[in-house]
Amino acid sequence: MEDKKVLIVGGGPDGVRAALEKAEDGAMVTILEKFPTLGAERIPRDRLIKPDEAFANPDLDKVRNHSDIKILTYSDLKKVTRENGTVHANILKRSLRIDNTKCNDCKACIKVCPVNMFDDFDEAFSFRTAVDYCNSETSEYNIYKEDMPVCQQACPVNLDIRTYVGLIADGKYLDSLATIRDRLPLPGSIGRVCPHPCETACNRQYLDEAISICFLKRYVADVEINEEIEPVYETPEKKHPEKIAIIGAGPAGLTCAYDLARIGYKHIKIFEALPVPGGYLWVGIPEYRLPKKLLQREVDLISNMGIDIQYNTRIGKDISFEDLKNDYDAVFIGAGCHRGLKLRVPGEDEYEGKGIVDCVTFLRDQALGNPMEAKGKLIVIGGGNAAIDSARVGWRMGFDEVYILYRRTKKEMPANPWEIDAAEHEGVIIQYLAAPVEILGKNGRVSGMKCIKMELGESDESGRRRPVPIEGSEYTIDAETIVPAISQGTDLEFLGEDHGFDINRWNTFEIDEETGATNVPGVFAGGDVVTGPGIAIGAIAAGKKAATGIHKYLRSK
Amino acid sequence: MCTGRVDPVIVAEAFKKGLDGLLVVGCHFGECNYVSGNFQAKAKLDMTRRLIKHVGVNEERLSFQQCSSGEGALFAEIVGKFSKTIRELGPIGGDGDRVKAPEIFKKLEAAEAVLAGEKIRWVIGKRTPFIESGNMYGEVFTEHEFNRAIDMIIVEEIEVQEILGKLKEGAQSVKDLAKALSIPSERVFRNITALKRKGMIKLEKVSGRTPIFQLVPQEV
Amino acid sequence: MIYEKEKRYIIPFDDVPSDRAEMPEITVDERRRNFVEVETGFPEEVAVAEAKRCLSCRRCLGCALCWAECKPEAINFDIPDEELDLDFAEIVLTKGQDNSFHPFNSELGYGSYADVITDLQFERMLSPTGPTDGLVVSPLDGEIATRIAIVQGNTDEDETHLLSSLVLGVNESILALDKTEDLEVVLVSPVCQAFKEKFLSDSEKIGGLKIVDGVPESVEKGQKEEPLKVTFSEDGQSKKENFDLVVVLTKPKVSPEIASLSKKLKQEIM
Repeated sequence: MEDKKVLIVGGGPDGVRAALEKAEDGAMVTILEKFPTLGAERIPRDRLIKPDEAFANPDLDKVRNHSDIKILTYSDLKKVTRENGTVHANILKRSLRIDNTKCNDCKACIKVCPVNMFDDFDEAFSFRTAVDYCNSETSEYNIYKEDMPVCQQACPVNLDIRTYVGLIADGKYLDSLATIRDRLPLPGSIGRVCPHPCETACNRQYLDEAISICFLKRYVADVEINEEIEPVYETPEKKHPEKIAIIGAGPAGLTCAYDLARIGYKHIKIFEALPVPGGYLWVGIPEYRLPKKLLQREVDLISNMGIDIQYNTRIGKDISFEDLKNDYDAVFIGAGCHRGLKLRVPGEDEYEGKGIVDCVTFLRDQALGNPMEAKGKLIVIGGGNAAIDSARVGWRMGFDEVYILYRRTKKEMPANPWEIDAAEHEGVIIQYLAAPVEILGKNGRVSGMKCIKMELGESDESGRRRPVPIEGSEYTIDAETIVPAISQGTDLEFLGEDHGFDINRWNTFEIDEETGATNVPGVFAGGDVVTGPGIAIGAIAAGKKAATGIHKYLRSK
Repeated sequence: MCTGRVDPVIVAEAFKKGLDGLLVVGCHFGECNYVSGNFQAKAKLDMTRRLIKHVGVNEERLSFQQCSSGEGALFAEIVGKFSKTIRELGPIGGDGDRVKAPEIFKKLEAAEAVLAGEKIRWVIGKRTPFIESGNMYGEVFTEHEFNRAIDMIIVEEIEVQEILGKLKEGAQSVKDLAKALSIPSERVFRNITALKRKGMIKLEKVSGRTPIFQLVPQEV
Repeated sequence: MIYEKEKRYIIPFDDVPSDRAEMPEITVDERRRNFVEVETGFPEEVAVAEAKRCLSCRRCLGCALCWAECKPEAINFDIPDEELDLDFAEIVLTKGQDNSFHPFNSELGYGSYADVITDLQFERMLSPTGPTDGLVVSPLDGEIATRIAIVQGNTDEDETHLLSSLVLGVNESILALDKTEDLEVVLVSPVCQAFKEKFLSDSEKIGGLKIVDGVPESVEKGQKEEPLKVTFSEDGQSKKENFDLVVVLTKPKVSPEIASLSKKLKQEIM
């Protein structure tokens, strides 16, 4: 009989003990540790010791020398799945870049290495160099090389920020832009709207302030426009014959098309329900943050690669999803989240369209040139970016007074802090710790709203403190228009009945994380339609992933 | 002599001996008899300027200019301008410099040790390959990234060389080193533990409650 | 200035600190009743100056100086990473040796004063193969400590945590006292009942160790060279004493990777 195989994740004291126990039970054990060395010479935490007993861990030597224990240090568990009682593990064993059988521990390398970093084995008491022995007990050397800098790691599309910022410092703006475009086809748009997780990760914030990475991206995109350069995105000679349909010309769909065209796919068609491209970037992000002209130009550069965008075509209405699936070799769904969710308070249904309109419709109508009448007071309800955008748009449309109602405090507000500040700066009145109770009407139209004051109670699962109504604190605000901007959901009606897709309880697609594939062969999905309302760069990353997934799928067919 | 042969060590040594200004005049780019000598000179002297600035010398004291043998008037202009600059700055370690004499000469001694060390010499030599074809991992550097790498070595290595220079005078404690060199004591502590890991210094003795460290002679 | 947060070492370059570039905007009056773009973009010199602030973080320059210096030719940059696909009958999840910990009372001065360290750092210091030749020193100035306060960081946590971290604290005290002459260690913790029952009689016999049943409140100091002033409550009274090293007992935290693995496999971490 074959021995039972056991994987121990973690090479700390617990892992070492577990490995030994399993091996002594007759199992074949593999112990996996992220760090380059096992570390178990520790002071006990369960009993008092005599001075000479500390750090003595006979288990560790036993594990190191046990014939049935395989040690995988400096290794990551990349993927793990469990199937019929068997655990499949995909493990990355990082290269030490040193043949320790040849090493004579002369320390010549560490004396000359110019790169210092905190010695994490010794809890940052000292510096280690890039080449180092880590644990003086074992003297096994390794060269530490980061996968990517922290900014690039934080970026959903892993933009090579270090290089493109460096090129700007060198004055090579167009080379910088080319570096960005290698992974991101909408630099000018993203350079304006991205909430920049890269800057949140930037190491410079620990010295003074993070680098303004996002606006630097916008800068190089603007240089090209100011110099009136019209680039041509190249596509390779070799063409793949398969036909690919993309639903939605938003950031996910456009990026998926861009990447597929660059791989060499010739027949790519994007179906867009609206008369304009860009998805939420066009109908959700207001003009004052992202000029339509600029977005149109970036979309044109993509469509000039030979990508057909068919506007005013709603799948499920103008073309059935079934037909699309049958006519094309692969389909990517990037339909976004274009349905504003309801407040669920009395009066809401009664006055729908009569002074109450959800934020998605409110912003879309304005963006498409049919804004609603701006008269009197506007109340926006919610604390996300869509709420701030709606309020700032309303203020520009000419409402006399604009209110935002948010049920927690500014600290908990999910909108970008700089957007909140800008709204307040423009004169938007934000009432924190307040929630709607009832929509009030007069003569068949909205006339105001009954609200209630809130206070923060216990923390919920997400760690945020839950708002609780303060009894008896109701008050009324007069208003002609009310825009709920609490959240957005997907609209999957276009799939038709009996579509067979795995849809989760948030009404979004379940996909394979690596390829973007849905459970229906040949159909891929990504962006907000998978994640719920998210950031544009996240949708772009999903589009890229799906492009790779589609290519892999089509080439293996 | 080709300007490419001007070793940064000589530059630091000259300033250490009290020189007030150093002007290096080389051929124009593209006219080098050895193809890239003047490019090398510029890279090395740029780096040296940043290093002397870091230790407190006014970087205007070191200048790299270009002029061919036929351009007498230009040469005169360059020299005239430089002399004027130096005259205005006055003697080294005076009002023109951030760090004053005699401390400035101690700093220049550490600078000389940095420039004589392998780290900076090796990396500066990698400038062309790093910028054109990439490092061992195939990462191509921008000029800015390369300069940051050099600055990183300058900032850290000066501190280490100052500590090693002081220890040459005799065994010392962390506290005394920090005081003598005006480096924050927690940084001295980290550098001392790092040097100990590398086998370059060792604990000599504990005097009262003060550990004293001494140099370990290195094989050359 | 301490250039370290979350164990990142960042080089104190000469151009630090500098201000981040501010995005120019049109005035509020210019925005009313129109949709003109608010942010007008960086001018060239601002963009270049901002880009030059980038630290170009790169750990291992790939310069190969180590390779050139290695006489036995052990260094080889071409040794590739290995990808392994393996099957197992069982998987056991443990904490690994990430050594991260839950945040604790920020008033205790960790991260602000070099002489306030964690129990994990203290453990390395006490190790015979550790960074300080086994001497119990202050990382502020390298001097051997005379008075150490070991204080509980996460005092509101459950009894299991308090007990194990206290045992570690007492064990660290035993080692520190054994290694160091004329040392006094004061352990401040809201000592829980379980500890008293199990270990208190043993720990009372340890010479030089004083266990205070109290709650550490804050750590402060005036000048850098001055001792740390620890404020703690004992028997409902607030007390302030001087120490030259403060060790905070931390609560270990499971790394996000292991936590998500545990969630995905629906399996407990051992």
